[in-house]
Amino acid sequence: MPEESVMTADETSSENGAATSRWWHRWFRTPGELRELGVVGINMRNARYLLPNNPRRLYELVDNKLRTKVLAEAEGMTVAETYGVLRTPHDANRVEKFLNGREAFVIKPTRGSGGKGIMVIDKRVGKNFVKPSGAEVTAGDVKNHVSNILAGLFSLGGKRDYALIEYRVQPAKLLTDMSFQGAPDIRVVMLHGYPVMAMLRASTKESDGRSNLHQGALGIGIDIATGMTVRAIHHGRPVTHHPDLGIDLIGVQIPQWETILQMAVTCQEMTGLGYLGVDIMIDESLGPLMIEVNARPGLAIQMANGIGLLKRLEPIVEAHRNSPAADLAEKIAFSKKYFRAKLPVPRD
Amino acid sequence: MNAQAKLLIAVALLCAVGGGLAAYKSQMLGVPFWQDQKVDEWLVEAKISFLATGRDVKARLSLPSKAVDQNAGQESGSLGYHYDVEDDRGEFTAIWSSQEREEGQALYYRVRFKEGPVSGGEPTPANGEPEAPDIPNLPGSLGTAARSIVGGAKGLSVDSDALFVTFYEQINSANASQEYVLVKRHYEKENLANPKIAMGIDLLGMAGVPARLSYGVRLNDEFVGQQPMPLVEYFDGAAWKVRDPMEPSKILDGRDVFVWHRGGGPLLDVTGGENSKVTFTVVKDRIPLSRLTDLRESPLLISTILALPVSERAVFRYIVLIPLGAFVVVVMRNIIGIPTLGTFMPVLLALALLEIKPVQGITMFAILVGAGLWFRFLLSRMNLLVVPRVAACVVIVTLLMMLMGVISFQLGMSVGIKITLFPMIIIAWTLERMSLIWEEEGKRSAFTQVGGSVLVAVCAYYFMKVSQIQYWAFYFPEMLLILLAGILLIGRYTGYRLSELIRFKTFSNA
Repeated sequence: MPEESVMTADETSSENGAATSRWWHRWFRTPGELRELGVVGINMRNARYLLPNNPRRLYELVDNKLRTKVLAEAEGMTVAETYGVLRTPHDANRVEKFLNGREAFVIKPTRGSGGKGIMVIDKRVGKNFVKPSGAEVTAGDVKNHVSNILAGLFSLGGKRDYALIEYRVQPAKLLTDMSFQGAPDIRVVMLHGYPVMAMLRASTKESDGRSNLHQGALGIGIDIATGMTVRAIHHGRPVTHHPDLGIDLIGVQIPQWETILQMAVTCQEMTGLGYLGVDIMIDESLGPLMIEVNARPGLAIQMANGIGLLKRLEPIVEAHRNSPAADLAEKIAFSKKYFRAKLPVPRD
Repeated sequence: MNAQAKLLIAVALLCAVGGGLAAYKSQMLGVPFWQDQKVDEWLVEAKISFLATGRDVKARLSLPSKAVDQNAGQESGSLGYHYDVEDDRGEFTAIWSSQEREEGQALYYRVRFKEGPVSGGEPTPANGEPEAPDIPNLPGSLGTAARSIVGGAKGLSVDSDALFVTFYEQINSANASQEYVLVKRHYEKENLANPKIAMGIDLLGMAGVPARLSYGVRLNDEFVGQQPMPLVEYFDGAAWKVRDPMEPSKILDGRDVFVWHRGGGPLLDVTGGENSKVTFTVVKDRIPLSRLTDLRESPLLISTILALPVSERAVFRYIVLIPLGAFVVVVMRNIIGIPTLGTFMPVLLALALLEIKPVQGITMFAILVGAGLWFRFLLSRMNLLVVPRVAACVVIVTLLMMLMGVISFQLGMSVGIKITLFPMIIIAWTLERMSLIWEEEGKRSAFTQVGGSVLVAVCAYYFMKVSQIQYWAFYFPEMLLILLAGILLIGRYTGYRLSELIRFKTFSNA
């Protein structure tokens, strides 16, 4: 393995001129500067990493959450327990039968993307259901939601879909403390089975329980080597505290980080996709749960970490070429060794 | 061979083939490469269509004497028909005949001539003394009104030109005298094809000026399959003159109008067929006639578009523009990074804008989408399933289009009628997608995407509107191969989008 070329990955970035501030940075950055920072754009992600590494036929494995879950369970991974799959309008009328009297549950489309169409129910009050925001919905509303899912309203390309009822994750307290409502999840981006970058997405009042960064959610960068949060951004700008809750976001240790990394690498192995993002939630009692695999992970993760993806993807391409047969442990060791973040200087 | 090399070879090949064919056409065949090098020639094609009834068929089409006299290029297209031209003292008629024809028939007659001020409507000496005009038999008060009009006009006008101008100006005028209104109403009730023209001809006849119907063609290549334009031919004592009754005081300009038929006889006469009609298509051609045959007989397929009948060719005027719009979409999305609602929705919008002017078009689009969106939100309260909801949107969009057409027509804006050019299904889907995005990602996201689509459509419109580009696309369709090469290259572009330079402006190293 050519160590020299790999060693230079993160070190050079902060010394060079791209960090110096210029008048135009208020409005834009030049392509040269972005290249120097190693920022990956959509075109580059698609042409260099998605298209060559993710064959079309494998997308079905991850676009359909039922199939992903079956694969993951076969690998012995912990996933949210499936309470039932609603397949027909007839099933939509009998949601209660699938619920079996359960208090809390989640209904989601099996082919949804970007968190669309997910309905979370925390408890029941009489005949009604209560959402995490405190809003009550009736059994009729739930049925309508299921009908919309079945009609393909939330699925990729509007195809007919199934509705999945599953266990409502009770996120670890450490994580709910960092999020205004909503359940924070961890996204790990992988290339050829090497963990590239990780971030925690936490919602704010503005993002309304959702974890989409462009809707105002927080992106919190996580150090691959230690599982410690190192940086947080809100609307692209670095922040240190949660804008609504005021809690410190930096220097938080994500629990069971080792398990999370192994889970992510296993997801790559079981799907065969070269470039992917794995979404994981940490349950208070069950630990890390694999939620979904995304074959088109976004680019905001590099903002959250303050590191251009290219600075990590290129060394991985090199490592993969030199030792294509590396196993899970070797890959994790590689990423931990070379992608160790400069831990933040303790404040106060 | 890696993907990069394959791509470069494909691009080089496409450029070589496209550029080579274009060079061959412009250098060897003499098709002007630049638009202003044009050889301005009009190609007017008459298309006769009728339903044959199974008997022997004979079709007679009156021909412009100009075409036959001056040896302007003329040809007829008629598979399986016997064709000849009859000469009746300087008035020419094309005759097609065939036995036992059935179903729809189409006959073509093409004329080409140089652009110029001569329209063919100039004074021509009469073949002998014209017959005395028929005095129309108008009953009672109508007759009195008509006689009063004629008497009044004769008192003021000295010659037949002046009478023609007086009559038609009054007929066209919105505030004509009571007598005109009375007589006009009578002619409109008679269900004539052209009540105003018929009234003018009768009034001229009562004033002792022989007049008859004549037909012309508008020299404007935006009309495909235009109806013959009714003109009036009148006798001023020495010669027959043709003028446009809509613009009575203007002498016909050969750059706007070509007089196809004079002499008072029927323009078209078909025996053995029903529903016969003649339509005209006009194309400004830039290829010298002498070269055209070379092109048609050229073994290279490049010339196929020129071998088509003119009316069919005119369809391609817009089709060849679609790749240009698609190219703009590719550039805007992959290089600039403007989000759009649906990939090629902007192209369809841009095509609609080509017909309607952009400002009016976008205003109508905004009203349509705004109103449609409001209805869509009302619908969403009913929790309908997806397909019925989109279908409901289609119904609402249809009604809105009709409503806007009627309202704008009432307000005197004829542009409102053109609203039907918006592709309705596209609008219905736009509404559906937009309202979903509104609910899922907020209104900001919805407006960004719709605004992006409109912006891309406007850019595509201005690109497609450049007449030099239209000219290349139409006369050098092989240049689309070069466009294709450009699209392939963009397909491998891995650099930043312009929008990403802004998106990542706050990027800072950890």
